[in-house]
Amino acid sequence: MGRPVVVALGAVLAVGGMLALGALSQIPYQPEEATHAVIRLAWRARGVAVEECRTLTPEELEKVAVHMRRTEVCEGRTLPYQLRAVVDGDVQVDETIEAGGARGDRPLFVLHDLPVAPGSHNVEVTFTRERAPAETTDSMEVTPARLELDRSIDVAPGQIVLVTYDPDTKTMILQDAPATR
Amino acid sequence: MRSWGKRLEGAAFRALSRADAFMNRLYTWRFNPLYHSGALVVVLFIAVTVTGIYLLFFYRVSAPYQSIARLQDQVWLGRWIRSFHRYASDAAVVAALVHAFRVFAQGRSWGPRTLAWISGVALLSVTLICGWTGYVMVWDEQGMVLAREGARFLDALPLFSEPISRAFVGDRLIPNAFFFLNLFLHVALPIGIGVVLWLHVSRVARAALLPPRALSWAVLGLLLGLSVLWPAALGPAADLFRLPQRAPFDLFYSGWLPLTRNLSAGLVWLVGGTLAAIFVTTPWWIGGRSRRVESMQPSFVVQRLCDACRTCYLDCPYEAIDMVARTDGRPGLVARVDPALCVSCGICAGSCAPMGVGPPKRTGRYQVAAVEQFIAEHTLGPDDIVIIGCSSGAGNITRGTTFDGACIFPVDCAGSMHTSVVEYLVRSGVGGVLIVSCPPRDCWHREGPKWLEQRLYHGREAELKERVDRRRIRLAHAGLAEPYLVRQELAEFRRELAALEVASAEEDIALSIECAAPVEEVES
Repeated sequence: MGRPVVVALGAVLAVGGMLALGALSQIPYQPEEATHAVIRLAWRARGVAVEECRTLTPEELEKVAVHMRRTEVCEGRTLPYQLRAVVDGDVQVDETIEAGGARGDRPLFVLHDLPVAPGSHNVEVTFTRERAPAETTDSMEVTPARLELDRSIDVAPGQIVLVTYDPDTKTMILQDAPATR
Repeated sequence: MRSWGKRLEGAAFRALSRADAFMNRLYTWRFNPLYHSGALVVVLFIAVTVTGIYLLFFYRVSAPYQSIARLQDQVWLGRWIRSFHRYASDAAVVAALVHAFRVFAQGRSWGPRTLAWISGVALLSVTLICGWTGYVMVWDEQGMVLAREGARFLDALPLFSEPISRAFVGDRLIPNAFFFLNLFLHVALPIGIGVVLWLHVSRVARAALLPPRALSWAVLGLLLGLSVLWPAALGPAADLFRLPQRAPFDLFYSGWLPLTRNLSAGLVWLVGGTLAAIFVTTPWWIGGRSRRVESMQPSFVVQRLCDACRTCYLDCPYEAIDMVARTDGRPGLVARVDPALCVSCGICAGSCAPMGVGPPKRTGRYQVAAVEQFIAEHTLGPDDIVIIGCSSGAGNITRGTTFDGACIFPVDCAGSMHTSVVEYLVRSGVGGVLIVSCPPRDCWHREGPKWLEQRLYHGREAELKERVDRRRIRLAHAGLAEPYLVRQELAEFRRELAALEVASAEEDIALSIECAAPVEEVES
């Protein structure tokens, strides 16, 4: 190869490399096809903390050091809720939502994406608290024992409709636009 | 596993040698960007930092996308500075990957270089995470997808009582604290990169942190041209109430997205952790090419011969030699090799005039013994040329015994060759000695060709003696896949030698009489 050819090739490679860099830096990409819509169930709800106490038997007390013998032990937990979501008559979600945190003392969190075809749909969502044991002590109640939403919605391709809990009104609401400042 | 690793390393080495040869043809070895990939990362890192500081003045955590969009609207400055920041970040990833591939292929990831390899993997990881936070800062479609994926991965860890993904469902505003934390990470991580970079080069002397100035300016100029002529696009603003739209994504920082989108977060952690473990443990499973392992014995110093000239201490590319007080009753200092730092490159053997330092069986003394034997075994006359070839490069000609009619005297590294070898050959009456080393920025032992040239032509300690006819010596550089360069140099050298008088042989070539000692005694 003659010197001019080498220089020209070097320049072409350098410019080509830069163009490739520019192209690879902005590749058009769509993470998922937007031919469907999504009903997103997402909320945070403070549950009802209950404390369950029981009296230790004499045998159990025997096993404990004298200075640590308390006749009654109590364990706290947050009551779970049952989440059920039905879209156009089909049950999409039916599960128990436990409170977050290693000790189950954090709020309850719900996050589910339900893909649906664009168009009209009937959405029924219920969020029902487990019945509290009779002997437990209810502490501060924040979220109602039952939340429900039964609405017809019309969704476009790629649209996300949010079903969430509004702690101000203590109701389940439908939201199709972001919150604003 | 180890044999599989060696095969992989060998295949990578062959591919790299060919790529090097191609780039050398186009840009010459001085400006071959593949040779300077590591230093180019540093230049790009500086460029990214400088442009990042400018961009920082315009960024608002309360309105991330809007602030970037305003920058994008600044046609004369903001747009191309942002593009430059982004393209330079991309180029840094490319250069870092080339550098890692190069180090792996050349078998430089293990032994005393393990720390550099592991810190290099950490550097690349931190760079990618830093880029991730950078794209989240923009809060366009790509930023939103990256933020959601990151939240999904983090939610799989039992660290947070409240799922981070909840922040991106749209029922409430994304708190400014999120963008502030993200900005903090984007600024703090490069500081971490600086610290790890220091660790990365801590084991080498005179780390080549910057490429040749012309190459730096060429790369920066090309990036600038690209930024001005083809500014990086800004995707549509993040919309939490729409599925991600088709938008420009950066392959270098988001290229993994199509792979992880349909995997559970736990599986992503498992695969990612496995890959990270494979990269980090490369020095152990690769183990280096066997011939390297065999020759990895550290250098030693013969105190009796050391005259405390400090040259080996200065020349050592890994700062493995110290000058310490003598223990033989003579005043002054003596060189001492730290075996834990020595990579057995043998550069010190070439730097010691009295031949008192070097790896076992590779000291100057052994080299002279080898060249004496070479002369005895070959019938060489004034028409003959001897090629001293570096076995790591030199067009791979050292695998044979002759090349284009010239005899080959192979050496482990031209930089570790003692100049007495050249003197012996010239004074024994050969027509000429062609020394072919690796290209200076591609020396397996880092600085061999540089020191060799200074010893041959610039009087550096352990220099080639004045009595040797320089006209009969030629120094050339050729990579492993460049035998054509050796052929060209040889042909040109032949033409030059033809114009000289006939070479004459000396009968009794006495070298280093002042420190003569039986080799066995010295090395025992």
